[in-house]
Amino acid sequence: MAALDLRAELDSLLLQLLGDLEELEGKRAVLNARVEEGWLSLAKARYAMGTKSVGPLQYASHMEPQVCLQASEAQEGLQKFKVVRSGVHAPEEVGPREAALRRRKAPTKTPEPQSSEAPRDPLNWFGILVPHSLRQAQASFRDGLQLAADIASLQNRIDWSRSQLRGLQEKLKQLEPGAA
Amino acid sequence: MAGRGKLIAVIGDEDTVTGFLLGGIGELNKNRHPNFLVVEKDTTINEIEDTFRSLGSIPGSVAEANPSQHDPPLWDEIDSWQFLNRDDIGIILINQYIAEMVRHALDAHQHSIPAVLEIPSKEHPYDAAKDSILRRARGMFTAEDLR
Repeated sequence: MAALDLRAELDSLLLQLLGDLEELEGKRAVLNARVEEGWLSLAKARYAMGTKSVGPLQYASHMEPQVCLQASEAQEGLQKFKVVRSGVHAPEEVGPREAALRRRKAPTKTPEPQSSEAPRDPLNWFGILVPHSLRQAQASFRDGLQLAADIASLQNRIDWSRSQLRGLQEKLKQLEPGAA
Repeated sequence: MAGRGKLIAVIGDEDTVTGFLLGGIGELNKNRHPNFLVVEKDTTINEIEDTFRSLGSIPGSVAEANPSQHDPPLWDEIDSWQFLNRDDIGIILINQYIAEMVRHALDAHQHSIPAVLEIPSKEHPYDAAKDSILRRARGMFTAEDLR
């Protein structure tokens, strides 16, 4: 009876594993397509801006991540990832904050507004007015990041299912040494 | 920083790293180490492996590393460029052709975090037969197990 329950559990786990593998293959194909779109858009941007205008030379000396991962443990040893995007960067305000008379003599300096805590958009590394293809590249790679988190979760689940399957197969062998 | 969540690291060619940094994953300041490595033609396998294993204290400019351009004392610190030992990295994205160079290190990595994701590069399309995760899944069953 215990062996029958174990076999049923094994079957269900195996079906789930095969389903996960199929889903992984599908998501991977989409990720690869997004990344390829991104490269094509980067190439177009490079054509528009110049060969050396889109590359490591433009990286900022200070970077804050706009995208982070939230890792949660659904079951023991099973990690799931979720992409979290930080707040939208407030547009920079240019000019006086209030309608006020300007003083000719040196005024007491009003405190500068605190710079926004939201990280700077990496598009700004490449200039103020960037070609549309660079924005398209950014969009493609952002989609790719979401898919990467889903694929990483699926990979973890597949690894977890593998170890669960092995454990169940061992138990089954102990219960049915001849048949297993 | 503690409540911010985990980072996504990337080890890849110039376009791959630039693209994902455009997506907003890059972290670099004077106190932290970069979470990316641009692999050039002259980047050594040791460097890639060291970066992969744990992350160290070299300023961001070393991201495009050329060993011959570093002072000998600095070069010793490059050994500590290792992503696996950082507890704030959730996923490592790596071009598959680079993963092939350090396949032994990838196969030895059995933990769920950080997860390693192999992605294609412009010159090398993705090959599922080479992926570490799928190879492990493929080798799961023998004919006897399925009887």
